Amino acid sequence: MNESWHTAGPAVAARAVTKTYGNGVRAVRGVDLEVPPGEIRAVVGENGAGKSTLMKLFYGLEQPSSGEILIGGRPRVLRGPSSAIALGVGMVHQNLMLVPSFTVAQNVVLGVEPGRRGLVDPRAAVETTARLAEESGLAVDPRARVDEVSVGMRQRTEILKALHRQAKVLILDEPTAVLTPQETEDLFAAVRRLRDGGMTVLFISHKLREVREISDTVSVMRAGALVGTVATADATEHSLAAMMVGRDLILDVDRTPAQTSEVTLSVRDLAYTAPVGQSLHGLDFDVAAGEIVGVAGIEGNGQSELAEILAGLRRPTAGTIRVGGTDTAGLDVAGHRRAGIGYVPEDRLHNGAALDESIADNLVVDRHDRPPLARRGILHPKAVRAHAERLISDYAIRTPDPSVPVRALSGGNLQKVVVARELSAGPRLLIASQITRGVDIGAMRFMYERLVAARDAGAAVLLISADLTELLALSDRLLVLRDGRLVARFDDTTGLTEKRVGLYMLGVEQHDREHLTTGLGEIS
Amino acid sequence: MSSVLDVVLSSAFLAAVLRVATPYLLAALGGLVAERAGISNIALEGQMLAAACTGALVAGYSHSVALGALSGITVAMLLGLLLAALRLELGADAIIAGIGLNLLASGATAYAVYTLLDDKGGTTGLRSGTLPTVTLPGIESIPVLGDVLSGQNMITWLAFLAAPFVAWLFFRTRFGFHLRAVGEMPDAAASVGIAARRVQYAGLALSGALAGLAGVFLSMGYVSFFVRDMTAGRGFIALAAVFLGGLRPWGVFLAALGFGAAEALAVQLGTLDVPPQLVSTIPYAMTLVALALYAWRRKRRGAGEVAAVSL
Amino acid sequence: MTATLIESEDRREYRTTRRRDLAVDLSMTLATILAALAIGFLVMLATGKDPIAAYEALLTGPMERSFRVGRWLEDATTLTLLGLSVAIPFRARQISLGAESQVYAGALAAAVVAILLPLPPVVAVIVPLVAAAAAGAGMGFVPGAMKARLGANEIVATLMLNAIVVRVYDYLVNGPLRQTGSSAVHSERIHPDSALTPLTDWFGIPLGRSNIGLGLMLLTAVALWLLITRTPLGYRIRMTGSNPDFAEYGGIRVPRAIEWSFVIGGAVAGLAGAHLVLGVYGRLEPGMAGSLAFEGIVVALLARNNPLVVVVAGLFYSYLRAGGDIMEQQTDVGTEIVVVIQAVIVLLVTAQALPDLLKRRLARKQVGAR
Repeated sequence: MNESWHTAGPAVAARAVTKTYGNGVRAVRGVDLEVPPGEIRAVVGENGAGKSTLMKLFYGLEQPSSGEILIGGRPRVLRGPSSAIALGVGMVHQNLMLVPSFTVAQNVVLGVEPGRRGLVDPRAAVETTARLAEESGLAVDPRARVDEVSVGMRQRTEILKALHRQAKVLILDEPTAVLTPQETEDLFAAVRRLRDGGMTVLFISHKLREVREISDTVSVMRAGALVGTVATADATEHSLAAMMVGRDLILDVDRTPAQTSEVTLSVRDLAYTAPVGQSLHGLDFDVAAGEIVGVAGIEGNGQSELAEILAGLRRPTAGTIRVGGTDTAGLDVAGHRRAGIGYVPEDRLHNGAALDESIADNLVVDRHDRPPLARRGILHPKAVRAHAERLISDYAIRTPDPSVPVRALSGGNLQKVVVARELSAGPRLLIASQITRGVDIGAMRFMYERLVAARDAGAAVLLISADLTELLALSDRLLVLRDGRLVARFDDTTGLTEKRVGLYMLGVEQHDREHLTTGLGEIS
Repeated sequence: MSSVLDVVLSSAFLAAVLRVATPYLLAALGGLVAERAGISNIALEGQMLAAACTGALVAGYSHSVALGALSGITVAMLLGLLLAALRLELGADAIIAGIGLNLLASGATAYAVYTLLDDKGGTTGLRSGTLPTVTLPGIESIPVLGDVLSGQNMITWLAFLAAPFVAWLFFRTRFGFHLRAVGEMPDAAASVGIAARRVQYAGLALSGALAGLAGVFLSMGYVSFFVRDMTAGRGFIALAAVFLGGLRPWGVFLAALGFGAAEALAVQLGTLDVPPQLVSTIPYAMTLVALALYAWRRKRRGAGEVAAVSL
Repeated sequence: MTATLIESEDRREYRTTRRRDLAVDLSMTLATILAALAIGFLVMLATGKDPIAAYEALLTGPMERSFRVGRWLEDATTLTLLGLSVAIPFRARQISLGAESQVYAGALAAAVVAILLPLPPVVAVIVPLVAAAAAGAGMGFVPGAMKARLGANEIVATLMLNAIVVRVYDYLVNGPLRQTGSSAVHSERIHPDSALTPLTDWFGIPLGRSNIGLGLMLLTAVALWLLITRTPLGYRIRMTGSNPDFAEYGGIRVPRAIEWSFVIGGAVAGLAGAHLVLGVYGRLEPGMAGSLAFEGIVVALLARNNPLVVVVAGLFYSYLRAGGDIMEQQTDVGTEIVVVIQAVIVLLVTAQALPDLLKRRLARKQVGAR
């Protein structure tokens, strides 16, 4: 299986690899990377820096647009994961690829089951799994069903799956995101043991403390390119953070200082226990009318949950939320909208639009049942169309006709439809989540102008973004969310740098509780 | 009341239960295989009908019961493959394609019978014969059980062997592993290099074959003729048994057996003063209640968690 | 100035593409029907029949005599109502197969009122109709609520309900509601005042059992089209079907929209049952809806769940059904070939990749031609 490996060369390497997706997004740009055998290599970078795409290229899930991938010292064409597996590459995905109703052992052997004549020998599967677990120090219960074991054990199962296929290279995509500290410790011990046995490990993360603890060398990616590779011993969390954050492109936004008036949104002691995803713990903050408050954080630290709770799509477990005097915690979505909350969702394709319906219909979902669009139970198509034509011209949506299904629009134009709908409702509180994700520069500038205009018109804006440049350019105040907790609060963003915010996002520094809650009044 | 008990406890009734449950068992297990492969086979009804008709016609013309049965099963299998192809190659909705196949089977069988025999009702004019019964040596001497089991049709035996067979296939063979993996978590299966489509085609062919066996039993088990639309909705009931049985071989076995028992009971009670139609609604009403309870329980357990099986 | 120029150019291009897509859709539908007819042709040829004579009878037969037209219209009325009844839940992307239970519930309700309740004229028609719609709606509410509130699979729920209602109906027609002293199994006749006026009375030519239910059906189709396109509820049903996550995000109560789609569909199927009792048979007969409930699904699919198009599809399908019977009388080809043709149409329509494949190829050709 692996005879064609050159023992001397790098275990995996990329040569001038570029990956451009069909929609024109260049996720990886001219990356040269070499990982020698028997090394733990951390690859770090912000979300969207291209680390995951690079790993997909190594695992055959994507094919490079140009350049070549080397495995075992030779250039390879990987048509799919099976050819990568055959060459000895194993990958543990962030969302685990396990069959829930199968046992741990069955998942480990899936695809290469032991047994003769088309039968599966369950005892051999269990024995193999137990032996692999013993050798690698990855403790699992081979007979337990996967959907009944902890996330940590599921992950160990994934690693054993790769080991069972005699992987020589193991890619771990943000493996610690879902683990408890103890599980992380155990994982690291096992990974070191594998390395000592000759395994090459690629470790994707943005938790710098862990990267320093586990890796031999660190490669830093930013905006699709490789910024540099340093020996872990020579790197500090500060120096890595400095390499990671920042964007070359600078967008100036004309923005006068905020003229705030009364507090619009008050969040006190907000807690949320998530069945899946990030839970929230004791959030306290205010947003006043006429200001933009940014929420920074590495993605997956509770931003989505916070946004959906504020918009009424999830129920908080505890705490109070007041929007302009209305207690919204018990209301349904329509109630939230009546209270004057607008929400630009982070994934417009998921719930921001009905793709097969017309622009006109997509623009009225929150107001289809009231005048001027509907009267006495009758919806007036002419009014809906006129409403759409007005918004199309106000928000410069490029389309030949309001009856065009929104599926036909570009990312930027579709986002304009969403933003037009939410802003034209005249919200008292606007939650804007990843508002410029996947849109072109022109649309980006447009969104920025509209947000500032909404602020100046007296809306309270909560801006959630994975893009620090954007947050710093737009926010009057800035909050940082990490592991579902507020860890920093900057009441003045002038002079604030991405590097400084990055230190809080990455867990290098933290504000104390007193600083976080000063000036927050009691709410009745 | 005691007369009802007498009926239920008689060996003749138990034998009837086995007989009536046979098509439900086979079709439901067929539906199970398809469901676990990730393609709902709502065409069970049509596959049974096509097999029943083909079986009777081929047996009648060739004077070979075995050839008839094999042809019937083959036709049902082909319909299973057609469903898979429509779903996998042409992006058809499995439910709608299944409805289409049911319609096709209903029309084609009636057309064939009318064209060949000039008879609207069925193939009663054709002597097609029945499949043999099986009596294990010595079994007749066992009290009660002997009466129940002896003289049952070979397909009834096969139906009762089908449940352990499917369980064995699912949990002991490589094919079963791959089938369940593909149906439950296609990405996971693909990521370890399992050829998902091939597995699904094979699963749907097997599903069709089991439904075909059920169909052949209808026209060649106790009667020796095909009657127009003789499946009478059994395929749909079998589909319900698939879900009621929790998508597990033995669960589906019990559910199908329950439907069979209820139908047999309804027939028996027809001789008493209880309306048989009302008795025969009991299993369906129970299924409806069970469906609601199951959904309610699942909803309470966790709204956020994604269930592995969609009931 | 240039911007508006570009825009008007865009607009023109959009209109052309839309016209082209519409033309493709229309010709695809026609091609589907032709392909199905061609397959039927080949089947007849293969079974040693004369397909030309058969198709002549099939396609021209129903128009040859007025009472045949009447039979066609009477059948089309029931079938279209049933097609409409599933089109509404389909719009909310709910696979409701419950038209069978709803049509029988409607028939029972209409019959019980029209047989047992002496009512003054006009009211004697309206009350049974309302009762039938209510019974059908109730039958739709059960699986609708189970799906919307509990998340129970609507396919299984509707199939079970069908099995139950069909058996209860069978029991009632054979038992309590059976006409005493009659050798055949059927109920008593309805009060004459409750009957839907036959079209024969209006036009003065024999039109069989077709009746003003036809007008009722057309009104229902228009009403449903208005409901879907011109009411907030219709909007909610459409958005729920198109993207339930979006609907929820927009403040629509998705479970309520789903429930309503089932209830409305059920009411329409109930009307179909009333039409069978008050217009066609004048009493309850065993298995009187036949396979119409499932064929209604086919009609709705062919019409892409657009209520107005459902009427066209229903008329077309019933025409084939009526033509099939005439074909069987005049030639030795069984009417069942029509069911085969219908099935082939369903299979071709559901093969969604086919038209997309064609559209893409067409677009590529056009780019190549430039």
